[in-house]
Amino acid sequence: MTTTAAAPEAALGVLPRADGSANYSHAGYTVTGSVNGPIEAQRRDEHAYEAHVDVVIRPAAGVGGTRERHLESILQSSLTQLILVKNFPRCLVQIVLQVEDSPENDYVNTKLVQASLNFAIMPALMQTAVLALLSAGVPMRATATATAIAVMRQEEGAPTLVVDPSTRAIETAQSAHVLAFTSHGGLLLAESEGDFTVKEWDSVYDTAREICCRSAPTKEGMEMVLDEEATRGPDMRQFLQSTMEAKVAKDLHWK
Amino acid sequence: MTTPTIKLPAPLFAKLSPHPFLLRNLTTTSSTDSPSSSSAASKPTRTNGRAPHEPRPLHLRLSSLSHAHGSSLVRLGDTTVLCGVRGEILPVERIPGFRAIADREAAESNGTGDDNGFGGAGGEPRSGVGRGEIKDYDLLVPNIELATGSAPQFLPGVPPSTLAQTLSTRVYSLLCGTGLVDVRDLRVWRRSGPRDEGRGTGKGEEEDAEMVDVGEEGDEEEGQEEEGQEEEGQEEEDGVVAYWVLYIDLLFVSFDGNPFDAAWAAVVAALRSTKLPVARWEPEREMVVCSRTEKRSLRVRGLPVACTAVVFEEKDLGEVGAGVAEGRHWLLLDPDRLEETLCRETVTMVVDCSDGETRIKSLEKHGGTTIGRELVRGFAGIAEARWKEVDAALK
Repeated sequence: MTTTAAAPEAALGVLPRADGSANYSHAGYTVTGSVNGPIEAQRRDEHAYEAHVDVVIRPAAGVGGTRERHLESILQSSLTQLILVKNFPRCLVQIVLQVEDSPENDYVNTKLVQASLNFAIMPALMQTAVLALLSAGVPMRATATATAIAVMRQEEGAPTLVVDPSTRAIETAQSAHVLAFTSHGGLLLAESEGDFTVKEWDSVYDTAREICCRSAPTKEGMEMVLDEEATRGPDMRQFLQSTMEAKVAKDLHWK
Repeated sequence: MTTPTIKLPAPLFAKLSPHPFLLRNLTTTSSTDSPSSSSAASKPTRTNGRAPHEPRPLHLRLSSLSHAHGSSLVRLGDTTVLCGVRGEILPVERIPGFRAIADREAAESNGTGDDNGFGGAGGEPRSGVGRGEIKDYDLLVPNIELATGSAPQFLPGVPPSTLAQTLSTRVYSLLCGTGLVDVRDLRVWRRSGPRDEGRGTGKGEEEDAEMVDVGEEGDEEEGQEEEGQEEEGQEEEDGVVAYWVLYIDLLFVSFDGNPFDAAWAAVVAALRSTKLPVARWEPEREMVVCSRTEKRSLRVRGLPVACTAVVFEEKDLGEVGAGVAEGRHWLLLDPDRLEETLCRETVTMVVDCSDGETRIKSLEKHGGTTIGRELVRGFAGIAEARWKEVDAALK
């Protein structure tokens, strides 16, 4: 298992006029998200028993195309599971995700303007949406963490797993996977492309689960934490938690 | 015996409260005599009379469109989709940023090298050629139209709905991901290739050659051709002069759930029936000409089959605080329209067992947490069974 990217970074409450907002960057992707809600829904989106979750994804350049619609529909169905939509009948929770930066692709034939988003951006979009929802204080059933994993073919031996692969790595990979888990450990989202077997998917699942829902490390025993840092990959749940803790500590500083 | 009985006909019950209606259908067994489960055996059945893991049979008709190069009509219960494949010649001068493929043998053999690759084999830079061309030059253009009136929710005169856009994205990425179409079939070379030479295309083609597209030849680099050609006076450099672009258009004639499985089956069937005219470079007229009579069928690699199921939960979107799904749930294979509106969690798996071994080509699961690792593993077996059925239907 190899990781190609540095640790994720996030900032909460970056937009002053939105109910909640977050900026998240990881693996070359930078996404800013804003959340407004619960607000009044348009007549056609109104649902008598639950809130409508509206996700809008804007690419870094140009206007959104079919690929964005696809990502939006996936995120929408996932986030509806997380938000307590039954608490807000006839309301709307609007989530706007603006992609600011996506990693350079050193492949020669890349089109200058990326016409569509790669699906490796999915984890960044998911994390940004969850952080923005937390920042807006929208009641949620659980939080979610996501990661992308590519299975690279080797000349001989077992294929290797690359966590947070680069754009080119995804193109040359045998299969690419995006998995998201809720904070309860349920598999919220699993998107895979390429060519793989159930066994390979199993190992991808194990790795992703390790990254997304590792049980929180014990605070005492510093060397143990250091140990883990060295051997295991990024810990998304821990990251989510520490980001929120830092934000809360900063907001309550005046006390 | 004085219970007030209100007899509701089943369709009305389904309209008024669809969720309890489906739930009642699934939970009642033969012991009770509720009116909605007259055909129910001991096993639970759905409102459409099928068992939870029972898909609708796939009906298929090939080449029913006379003006398309390949076409198919797929029926999956009341979901009917029509697919037409039409090829068009794209001269390379029209491609911005085109990278010439100089070494023909290397390029041709490279396409065969990675049989089950995703974006090209291994890590070597040279191998990106095969799949890269289809993606870089957009040689496959799928488009899905959900016809007005195919289902009540599709209104006339509106832009393509999210569903239509999502479907065409999924079909496109699966086309690129599976490498279904061999790019070597789409290339048109300046010199007639070894495949064409083998078939003896020499006799009187000048008469029945049809002009397809006039490509203004920009680079007239002659010379540096050492080896003598058997063909008459061909001194130009070897190279790709044009590509076939395949426009894959899908039209949903009627829509009753599970659009992706039907659409994908139609795409695969249409591509398997596609016959492109033999195209070659005509040096005298400096353009690509297509033969009127000679046709070559497209080679389609493998047989990926999509299999979709939805998860029907006993509780209508858990009012419970815990995120883990509680209560009973059913995995409904090949859902119809009513079931799709009631279920949030869907799983789609595309499998290919044509090499003997089951390879998963795509997995999409979202909208819930019921399907965990065990269910995904189990679903692979269900998809395998579905593959056998579709394989039989395609034969």
